[in-house]
Amino acid sequence: MRLVIGHWLLVMSLAFVATPAFAAPAVKATAKEQHPSVVRVNATDQPWDFFHPWSKRAPYSRRALGTVLSGGRVLVTAELVANANYVELEKAEGGDRMPARVECVDYEANLALLKPEDDKFLNGIKPLDVSDAQVGDHVSVWQLESTGALLATDALVTTVEVSKYPIDDTSLLTYRLTSSLQYREGSFTVPVVVGSKVIGLLMRYDTRTQNVDVIPGPVIDHFLRDAADKHYGGFPRAGVNFAPMRDPQLRRFVGIGDDINGGVYVTQVQKGSPGDLAGIRPGDVILEIGGKAIDQDGNYVDKLYGKISMVHFISLHNDGEKVPFKIFRDRGVQQIDVTLQHRAASDYVIEPYVIDKAPKYYVLGGLVLQELSRQYLKEWGEFQKKAPERFVYYDRYQSELFENDPRKHIVILSHVLPTPSTIGYEELSYVVITKINDVPLMSLEDVARALQNPVNGFHKVEFEDNPRVIYLDAKQTEQDAAALMKNYGVPAISRLE
Amino acid sequence: MTRLFLRIALFCVIAGGCPAAPTPAPDNKNGDIKKSLVRISVTEQEPNYKVPWMAGNIAAGVGAGFVISGNRVMTNAHVVSNARFLALEKEDDPKKYVATVQFVAHDCDLAVLKVADPDFFKTTASLNFGGIPQIESQVSVYGYPIGGERLSVTQGVVSRIDFQTYTHSSVDQHLAIQIDAAINPGNSGGPVMQSGKVVGVAFQGYGGDVAQNVGYMIPTPVINRFLKDIEDGVYDRYMDLSVTTFNLQNPTMRRALGLVDDDRGIMVSSVASAGVSFGKLKSGDVLLSIDNHPIASDGFVELEGERVPMGEIVERKFKGEEVKLHVLRDKQETDVTVKLDAAWPFTLQSNSYDVEPRYVLFGGLLFQPLTRNFLESYQIDDLRVRYFFDFFISDELYREHPEAIVLSAVLPDPINTYLGDFKNGILDEINGSKIKTLDDVANAFRATSDEYVIKLLGVGRPLVLERAAVEAARERIMTRYNVLKEQNLRETVNVP
Repeated sequence: MRLVIGHWLLVMSLAFVATPAFAAPAVKATAKEQHPSVVRVNATDQPWDFFHPWSKRAPYSRRALGTVLSGGRVLVTAELVANANYVELEKAEGGDRMPARVECVDYEANLALLKPEDDKFLNGIKPLDVSDAQVGDHVSVWQLESTGALLATDALVTTVEVSKYPIDDTSLLTYRLTSSLQYREGSFTVPVVVGSKVIGLLMRYDTRTQNVDVIPGPVIDHFLRDAADKHYGGFPRAGVNFAPMRDPQLRRFVGIGDDINGGVYVTQVQKGSPGDLAGIRPGDVILEIGGKAIDQDGNYVDKLYGKISMVHFISLHNDGEKVPFKIFRDRGVQQIDVTLQHRAASDYVIEPYVIDKAPKYYVLGGLVLQELSRQYLKEWGEFQKKAPERFVYYDRYQSELFENDPRKHIVILSHVLPTPSTIGYEELSYVVITKINDVPLMSLEDVARALQNPVNGFHKVEFEDNPRVIYLDAKQTEQDAAALMKNYGVPAISRLE
Repeated sequence: MTRLFLRIALFCVIAGGCPAAPTPAPDNKNGDIKKSLVRISVTEQEPNYKVPWMAGNIAAGVGAGFVISGNRVMTNAHVVSNARFLALEKEDDPKKYVATVQFVAHDCDLAVLKVADPDFFKTTASLNFGGIPQIESQVSVYGYPIGGERLSVTQGVVSRIDFQTYTHSSVDQHLAIQIDAAINPGNSGGPVMQSGKVVGVAFQGYGGDVAQNVGYMIPTPVINRFLKDIEDGVYDRYMDLSVTTFNLQNPTMRRALGLVDDDRGIMVSSVASAGVSFGKLKSGDVLLSIDNHPIASDGFVELEGERVPMGEIVERKFKGEEVKLHVLRDKQETDVTVKLDAAWPFTLQSNSYDVEPRYVLFGGLLFQPLTRNFLESYQIDDLRVRYFFDFFISDELYREHPEAIVLSAVLPDPINTYLGDFKNGILDEINGSKIKTLDDVANAFRATSDEYVIKLLGVGRPLVLERAAVEAARERIMTRYNVLKEQNLRETVNVP
């Protein structure tokens, strides 16, 4: 199986392979002959090949469960339909099938809504409402037997916390359950249910620890409300990073008196972020958000979950909503209103994911030019260890490295397809290109413009690192393009959209 | 436990994998080798970078050496590195002689020893050096390898003459000769003989699982250079131009730079600002010849009938000598003379020996410079630390941080109990002053201030240590963690 979004997938795939852990089911699993509110979803995905950005990898299919919601909608994880070519619904019993379309998808929240082509397909299936759960609640994880009968396995909610979602930059509310799930075919993206309410979708399952991470009701609810709008806003953020303030020496340094107990130290305000636009600065101490007191670790008291990270409170808001921040600065307290905003993947210098989108590229004489993205790095698999170290470093620290960089994206020379034009350049790979024909590259789109004005008949390509500069013959590059495309099976010399 | 010395090029030789093979008929041409061969027993003490105030573990090892002119014994640098005590034995003499290191060159893995007792050399015969042996010619290797206590001889042919990384320093590449004679742990420092002359010093092998019968010896051009370098009483290291070059095999590239189609010249892609060529060469220069040897478009020159990398010309030179370069700059030919000297940032990148680790301990926070020894001892995989080490030279990180100072450990105490997460951070500032070297750290903490505000590189909160708290905790931390000394700023050389 291709790993599309990250190594959490590996956990998923392990989850439903029959292992000794499943040999002796010590759980109370009940097979009920009732009409389940789930349908099977068959998705055929075909991701792009970022090493050969003009082509796609071989398609692969996955069979999963979709949760039927009101309004003829079917809820699945976004991961299931990432780069999907074809999605169809299949009735649990009887096996009737119907093509479906992706109505709304949020890869950060890992949720997607499907609709059958014919609305009547879901008639007679009782939809589930969305609800939430708390620590200590007993819930069931729903799977389907091959007969279509429901297999509900008991699970206990052990932790509610903010944790990382598959797109590494996203942290949202997560339920952690403990449960001994059994292997059943097609058990990807299964619902977690209490009574007739879905309280979450399974995001990952670790067979060893029997921990189940669940995308919880509040995140699903936010997604559904957002999806009902014309414009899908997504989960908002303040763009402010913080550190805990338990250290008394730090508190005295900042000048906070003993009369104030809580607060977190602002370590970074991302440039252009809502916090930046509102005027929050590194060194500020956040005392309250939206009237909720923030403790020394960055938690507030939620009426449902008790103490939980303020990141959750922020994410509960809508894109564009204004929230007052009470901050301590210069030994005084002031209020700053922050208009929370979602940050689109394309607003990152190095995009955290490129899904459902063909990668941009330009093949210049044989040099394969692309934009650096984490999706590109993920082609190495365990990219933090295996991908070129400089690129991994740039990605990890992009918010500090490129804060004042005019570039919108980073153009790189990925590798070279050897042609007569590239003799002696074959070994060049994984270098950042800064300029072509003296034109600074702000994104890959600039390449086409830069190539219009060769310098004395040469295309001058400048790199951030060695060899610093190489030249290509402008005419020869153009003449050789057709042969290169034929030789290497490249359908078009560039894709800049 | 006694360790037998041999540097392993890539993988560890499996000890004991080579039983004593019947020795071929003695090669009379090599004379009475017993009069020249020396068995070296070493007691070494390797510093522990994790507890830098402690002297380190003591271990024993055995290597080989041989007598050369001037009542000296030659061996490998790695045989005598970090040595605390050296004892020499000769083949036909029951006595053990105490020796000291006179010169050691870690960048080419050679050392010369002195013996205080003049009787040692009464019965010895010094060996002379030959040239580079022919490919396919036979050589004999003498030493004390694994498998027994007495002298061992193996024979083989010269397989390859090429540049190799010398694993002792791990960053230096010099000429090395590959032979197919078995070279095993304990052979290190032993002579490789042909026609009665030393043609090399056995020094490193290759992992048994990957390649078999691959041994390497240091050839005489490297040995002769070492002996010449120490003539003035100081070893100055190898010299380097400190430039990165790019081959000029691409016809378009050649035309663009104004070159004709004669397969000559390589382009300077970058010039290290800490190197000797800074200000003399610049990025985009084309090097056409070096000391009147034309440079081919793949960076090779012809030297004594052999095609060798142009670096070999510089390799053979000494500190203060000059290199003449003929350069095409902006399509105009010009001559550039570079006076050679060693570039300091490179030494931080190589293994170091015979020195005590440098550090500063303050408030239970341990600060150490980012060197290869440090990195390998801690096995840090923090991305920023790795980047700082791996790109220290190429991204010229040394300009802002001549030494990257890492917060390598926090010895837990109430005054630093909230600072444990900041381990592996690289120091940026203390009380507003930029930290460039370990001395800066010591000075910043010596300055009187109510509080010390430490800023690490990247995004994060300041680390605050109040002076009163640090002073109150000082004795407590030193006692609790058995800290003998709070700082060591100088690389105290420690050679017997």
